[in-house]
Amino acid sequence: MLSTHLGTSADLPSWGVAVAVALAVASLALLVAEVRREGRGAVGVAVTGLLAVAALLAAVLRPARVAARETAVGARVVVLADTSRSMALPGDDGRPRSETRDAIIARLAKRGAEPDGARFVVLGFGEGAPAPLPEHGSHDDASARAAHSDLGAALRAIAASAEEHPAAVIVVSDGRLDDPPEDVSAAALHAMGASLHVPIDTVATTRSAPPDASIRRVSAAGAAVAHVPLPLRVDVGCAGGLACDELTVTARELRDDGPPALLASGIAHLEDGKGTLDLTITLERAGSRIVEIAIAPQQGDAVPANDRRLVTFEVARERVRVLHVAGRPTNDVRALRQWLKSDASVDVVAFFILRTPTNDVHASTNDLALIPFPVDELFRDRLPSFDAVVLQDFDAQPYGLEKYLDDLRRYVLGGGGLVMVGGQKSFVAGGYAGTPLADVLPVQLGDSSDAPSADTSPFVPDWTPAGHAAPLLAPLRAAVGDELPEMPGANVLGDVRRGGVALWSHPSRRTRSGAKMPVLAIGDEGDGRTIALGVDGTWELQFSDLGSRTAGRGHGALWSGLLGWLMRDPRFEPAQLDVVGGCTAGLPSTLRARLPPDIGAAASSTVRLEITRIDGQRAPLRLEAARPHDAEPIDLPLPPLETGAYSARLSAADGSTTRHDFACEAGGDEWADTRPDPKRLEALAAATGGAFATAAEVASLRLPKPTTVSAERHVTPVAPPWVWTLSAAALLGIHWIARRRNGLS
Amino acid sequence: MRPPIARLVALFAITVAGALVALAPRSARAFGDAGAFDPRVLITGSQTGPAHATAPGRWAWELEQRTSAPARLHPSVVRADDPAVIGAPFLYWSGDADLAPLSVEEIAGLRRFFALGGVLLADDAGAGPHGEPSPFGRAARREIARVLPDGAPITLGADHVIFRTFYLLHRAEGRVEGPQGLEAIVRGGLAQVIFSDNDLGGALARGASGMWEQPVVPGGDTQREHAIRLAVNIAMYVLCSNYKDDQVHAQFLMRRRAAASP
Repeated sequence: MLSTHLGTSADLPSWGVAVAVALAVASLALLVAEVRREGRGAVGVAVTGLLAVAALLAAVLRPARVAARETAVGARVVVLADTSRSMALPGDDGRPRSETRDAIIARLAKRGAEPDGARFVVLGFGEGAPAPLPEHGSHDDASARAAHSDLGAALRAIAASAEEHPAAVIVVSDGRLDDPPEDVSAAALHAMGASLHVPIDTVATTRSAPPDASIRRVSAAGAAVAHVPLPLRVDVGCAGGLACDELTVTARELRDDGPPALLASGIAHLEDGKGTLDLTITLERAGSRIVEIAIAPQQGDAVPANDRRLVTFEVARERVRVLHVAGRPTNDVRALRQWLKSDASVDVVAFFILRTPTNDVHASTNDLALIPFPVDELFRDRLPSFDAVVLQDFDAQPYGLEKYLDDLRRYVLGGGGLVMVGGQKSFVAGGYAGTPLADVLPVQLGDSSDAPSADTSPFVPDWTPAGHAAPLLAPLRAAVGDELPEMPGANVLGDVRRGGVALWSHPSRRTRSGAKMPVLAIGDEGDGRTIALGVDGTWELQFSDLGSRTAGRGHGALWSGLLGWLMRDPRFEPAQLDVVGGCTAGLPSTLRARLPPDIGAAASSTVRLEITRIDGQRAPLRLEAARPHDAEPIDLPLPPLETGAYSARLSAADGSTTRHDFACEAGGDEWADTRPDPKRLEALAAATGGAFATAAEVASLRLPKPTTVSAERHVTPVAPPWVWTLSAAALLGIHWIARRRNGLS
Repeated sequence: MRPPIARLVALFAITVAGALVALAPRSARAFGDAGAFDPRVLITGSQTGPAHATAPGRWAWELEQRTSAPARLHPSVVRADDPAVIGAPFLYWSGDADLAPLSVEEIAGLRRFFALGGVLLADDAGAGPHGEPSPFGRAARREIARVLPDGAPITLGADHVIFRTFYLLHRAEGRVEGPQGLEAIVRGGLAQVIFSDNDLGGALARGASGMWEQPVVPGGDTQREHAIRLAVNIAMYVLCSNYKDDQVHAQFLMRRRAAASP
């Protein structure tokens, strides 16, 4: 429907209209002042003057009739709703904060439904750019799952967006944000809104904190290095009227070879609801290690889930500590020792048996440079301090090692590395068959009473398909290709045990099952790894025709790969595993596996994933997926997991295994501090020129006015321009005559 | 002639003994021997063998009797220009006469050997009573300088690890007392060429009759025993390199040396 009103000529800019009106008003003011001063004949001069000014103004403005079809469009208002996990915490009325948030949004939406009401676009913010707010269901629904509450990233994304710029931004949150942080300055808050050029209004969902004691933050001073004390700072807090003057804090490493190991404990004293405790922990094993930091439970705690944090440390090695024990000095021992000593990243502690009870040294003890073999000290007291143990041609029986073989087995299960290198005193000949240590070797050991312990026929080992594909032997293949030197014989080994992989095999000798006898095999056992090398001739990779042609690099390349794999060096892992976006208890997650191209090229094979809880409290979860032909990552969907530490083991068809430990927490950082922070929201609104409101005051927020949009417009002059000009000239003339009669100039 | 029953019993006994031998755990002797210490005799030019033919075998025998290290009782002989020169990490070069200059092939062979980390003992069998080098001793230094032009010999004193790899020794001794120390070319922390002016092989040489072939002067049997100990230490140095320099040994050996000192 058309509406009609008067307007000015369309060719006049608005500033021209303003200037003309201003001049007219000024003229009238002068006229009034003049008439008051003279007093005589004032009425005639005033009337003609008024008419003349009006005619002049009309000549400039040239009035027109405007007929238009117009609509009012509500302003675009972006509502940024907090979707972080803290919105699942209890709010002022005990219900989840997300429910209050949704109620606020509903009230705003109602205002949007009014005539000329604002156009609300509701987006959820958490991590990165904001996204449409998911439908609200239960308190742990998708609208309260984000692991972070990064408002800064959301505002930057809106400012950079090519969409219609908002006329206003309203933030609905509990105020417990990652960005802006707690102690942010007003200037920084102002800068957050500056890029948007609109004020930011804020609405607090929650004002009061639930009764809660929690670990608010765990920070480490530097990176975790195996065997090196690591200082931890633990911030704890009590809020919501919970009375706690002190809290007992414990740090325990969660292990799959036994109960959690207590690393440190202490008492944090709290003042004003906050306290800090410094602890020092020492992690002995490298790789992913999960440490539980916990406080003693408090009565009346409304959020017990945050009494315990699971912190994953990627423990690095400053130097790999290797215990090298050899039963007798040989060329093979020489080669391995020289390689170990030449590698600056290896800290080797060596013990070689240089004299047996049957040797006649022709000298007194004081003439000898020999020290007793400290078997008790090494294998009872010092074993955990080593990353790997190499038993080379070493007989367990005469030197008292037999009694520590079970300790050595537990050491492997607990994450240690073990290499048994062949020779006259190794494997069956060394008395290891039927011992606890045999349970963690990657190959079976036969019974020495009815089987030879060694095959003395020279041979050249065969590469198995797994050996060809194994990243740990890639350096060796790069150095010598597929060629291997002739070995003078081999220890007789049995079949590869479950979880083991043969990398080299004997060309003619078979195991009882009929398989080719393994010569080099690797295996995962518990948290640790073991290697069985059933020959004592790898030194010939150095001193041989092959060694001469390859400058002896093959020996170092072989051991670099073996020790690197034992220490879980990522370069030698058959796959890389990662939980995408982390794991939240009770929510599904995705485990991404990246296989190297040479392994991924194997056609028509599958990978098997086994997820076990580290404390063994739940049955393992098993999944299978097809292995891609190329190096594309495999995404394996994980079902919701309970709170706890987990170990993921990915096994390829060739038996190679990769392990990745991860933790699932209920709330993570978002639940560490359950106190809402309305003051931060208030400060943000004040710094950006916006308004702050509580949930009850949301109706008082002033929304931007709508914009009028004309769909159709017709402009018709009231009179032609010459009429206005002529009228103005005539009335000015009459006014001039009236002034002359009254003696005015 | 034996009665049939006796023959049957004997046959049975032999069969049982044979079966027991067959079923008994076999030692991996042969494959363990490949990495055993082999005092390989190096031959260059017109040389036909070591100065003391029985010395290398005796050295291996003494090593096996006194230590846990396996050794080859019948050491091999290799020419410097033979590709097999790089087949093991040790060479024993001895003589008392002048040497012909090494050929290009011999120099290349020895350079490959040293590049892989091999150790060579040049033993002057003609050394004088006070260690005066014989024509071999001088020629060996001259030719090694051509093989390793970047290395100059230095003296290894009693504090070097070679004097404590198995026995605690205070000086070098051989058939002659000679100089107290050994000379060596050290590369990458490893004494790769060791020059002995004590005629170590002379003290080790022992004939099939069981008699020592050379008198040891001036110390007699005591000096010979010290020479054997030095030979054992050199073998252990080849097999264990600087093992006895490890921190775990250092303090212990320091105390023992202090206790042994007057």
